Amino acid sequence: MSGGPAVRVSIESTCEKQVQEVALDGTETYVPPLSMSQNLAKLAQRIDFSQGSDSEEDEVEGEPRDSEWNKQETEEEEGTVKFQPSLWPWDSVRNNLRSALTEMCVLHDVLSVVKEKKYMALDPVSQDPAANKTPQVFQLISKKKLLGTAAQLLLKGAEKLSKSVAENQENRRQRDFNSELLRLRSQWKLRKVGDKILGDLSYRSAGSLFPHHGTFEVIKNTDIDLDKKTPEDYCPLDVQIPSDLEGSAYIKVSIQKQSPDIGDLGTVSLFRRLPKTKAGTQQWHVKLEAAQNVLLCKEIFAQLSREAVQIKSQIPHIVVKNQIISQPFPGLQLSISLCHSTGEKKNHRASPEKPKPDDHLYVLEHNLHQMMREFHKQQLSSVVMPHPASAPFGHKRMRLAGPMAYDKAEISNLQQNEGLLEKIIKQAKHIFLRSRTARTIDSLASRIEDPQIQAHWSNINDVYESSVKVLITSQGYEQICKSIQLQLNIGVEQIRVVHRDGRVVTLSHQEQELQDFLLSQMSQHQVHAVQQLAKVMGWQVLSFSNHVGLGPVESIGNASAVTVASPNGEYAISVRNGPESGCKVLVQFPRSQTKELPKSDVIQDPKWSHLRGPSKEVHWSKMEGRNFVYKMELLMAALTPCP
Amino acid sequence: MEAPPVTSMPVTGGAVNMMEYLLQGSVLDQALESLLHRLRGLSDNMDPETFTDHELVYLLKGQQGNPFILRARRSLSHPTSPWHLRYLGQPEVGDKSRHALVRNCVDVAASHSLPEFLNEMGFRMDHEFTANGHIFRKGVMKIVVSKLSRILVPGNTENTERLSLSYLVELSVLAPAGQDTVSEDMRSFAEQLKPLVHLEKIDPSKQRH
Repeated sequence: MSGGPAVRVSIESTCEKQVQEVALDGTETYVPPLSMSQNLAKLAQRIDFSQGSDSEEDEVEGEPRDSEWNKQETEEEEGTVKFQPSLWPWDSVRNNLRSALTEMCVLHDVLSVVKEKKYMALDPVSQDPAANKTPQVFQLISKKKLLGTAAQLLLKGAEKLSKSVAENQENRRQRDFNSELLRLRSQWKLRKVGDKILGDLSYRSAGSLFPHHGTFEVIKNTDIDLDKKTPEDYCPLDVQIPSDLEGSAYIKVSIQKQSPDIGDLGTVSLFRRLPKTKAGTQQWHVKLEAAQNVLLCKEIFAQLSREAVQIKSQIPHIVVKNQIISQPFPGLQLSISLCHSTGEKKNHRASPEKPKPDDHLYVLEHNLHQMMREFHKQQLSSVVMPHPASAPFGHKRMRLAGPMAYDKAEISNLQQNEGLLEKIIKQAKHIFLRSRTARTIDSLASRIEDPQIQAHWSNINDVYESSVKVLITSQGYEQICKSIQLQLNIGVEQIRVVHRDGRVVTLSHQEQELQDFLLSQMSQHQVHAVQQLAKVMGWQVLSFSNHVGLGPVESIGNASAVTVASPNGEYAISVRNGPESGCKVLVQFPRSQTKELPKSDVIQDPKWSHLRGPSKEVHWSKMEGRNFVYKMELLMAALTPCP
Repeated sequence: MEAPPVTSMPVTGGAVNMMEYLLQGSVLDQALESLLHRLRGLSDNMDPETFTDHELVYLLKGQQGNPFILRARRSLSHPTSPWHLRYLGQPEVGDKSRHALVRNCVDVAASHSLPEFLNEMGFRMDHEFTANGHIFRKGVMKIVVSKLSRILVPGNTENTERLSLSYLVELSVLAPAGQDTVSEDMRSFAEQLKPLVHLEKIDPSKQRH
């Protein structure tokens, strides 16, 4: 604003062309003006790529940072940043180019790194499946290896597991063997000899004197295959019994009619009884029990045969093979045989007669066993034990024989007389006699209806004695006519009959004797019945005799007779009854009823015609009535006139 | 009356020569129960039998050195039983392999007048003792477990004093001469008693002082 020398200001328009150089002579070389493309490039250069759309926020943030105090300017610059009018149509181009640049730079970096081959390597990637084979094989191999290691681990584990399972099973079997052995020991005598376990199944510790050793061996059952399933009846313990005690045996006692052929002896039918196994019993138990039974049967048979040979009897006993035959009664044969069947083979030997189980007297077999055991027990009785202790074993009373100076008779009294065989023969005799008596009574009862015979057998019997009460009654008149009551005591060889009135009759073993006796008693009963009936009906007994000496002689017993008179004395009935001759009934009428009346000068009074006169026989079979006493009652009733 | 004829030779024979096979051992009092239990199981099935005996040992001193010994024994628990007189010979010096002591044995039952009889015969009582215990039996074998007690006052069996704190166990068999299988059975039975009691043959002649 000062007026100073005026400065010449020259204004020139900007040269369109820039001066590149000025030569020495002052010529100006102008920069050639940009061509279109050059111009475009120049304009493009002006585009600030850093102010791209993606970095707008940074720039926005950066700007306020620089000039916070000038918000306006910021806003302006923001506005200028946002709105670059000159660049706005190039924004998308700019962005695209920018991203292309980024990618190119990355690619360039990657390539340069890859080129060094230190940190990165190039792997060709082809989409062609044919080109993928080689990697799969590699995969396969690696997978196989992995699976192999996994499988090995699993196998190892499985092996361990199976080993432990097998051990458990082995332990269980081992424990089973021991528990079985414990169970065996609780029932049987066992002892250890060396490394073997032996047992004793004989009766020696129970008092037997049989020389059989009876030892069995306990063995472990090892023939079990662990892979297969254990069978139901598997037992880890097995017993080995002596060979001669195998199988099963029993003693058969039977009574038969005497076989006419002596050559028939020795053939014994082995009727094999299947042993009944209870559920829950072990196999060894069954085996041992069977063997013990065989041993006992052998002992019994040995004792019986020894006695059969030694003891002298009237009819000698025959011992043939495994049979003892004796004759209890004439015509009868008692055979005791030891039937021993070994193993499972069937008895191929054709037995002559089919096995008759009814033939076998089981009671006697049982009694044999019982007697043998009793004999054992006697060996062990405390009577044998010595007091003082230094004395030898022996019966207590026999020890007194010396000091008390017993004689032979007393000593023989002390000793046992009867052996097993004698006892069993006596028992067999009794059984036979009893069965025959029963048969006789039953046959009579079924044959004869009038009078009736009743037999009441007693429940409690002895091995050598049984008793039966026989009543002879008439049907319908049991209360009136009960005079015949017989008590039969069946012994070994005889039957003793005790009558109600006290008479004792001894009958032999003959069947006929008993039958005859009973028949005679029956005929006596009829006459007794008339006597009783007369009392009831009011008739008077004039005479009575059990054994009349008149009339035909009876072959069985005696005939009996009774005469009864009616209440008013007009009629009389006479009965004679004999076992063989039957009954004969006569009725005596009063004289007034006879057809011919003898006229006599002596007897004048008509009262004498009321006396009884002649007698007439009654057609007894035509009489009405179901039995004798009923008929008699009707007769009596008919002869008693109504008042 | 004529005297009965005197035979020149004494009447012998009729009786079999019996031998006693013997094995002895002992157990302490504490072990008695287990021994009895075991014997009960091994021997025959009988009720256990106890006994109380009184034994008198008689000596007859002759001109020779060895006196003749007889043992008279009676039962105190069964007073009505007869007395038992026993002669035991020298143990047989047989083969050493025989497992039991074998000696000749004569047993006689006698009435209750035995002590007076022996005194009259010239025997003098050497010593007496009481024995009580149990008897077991297996077949022909006899097992006696006894406690011996000394009699303090002669003749009085009530007043006794125990000789030791143990029980004497004897296994004996009376068999006719010549049966050697007996000793085998005895040995096998003794084997079964092994840890509880050791039964062995003890020669009495070696025991005497």
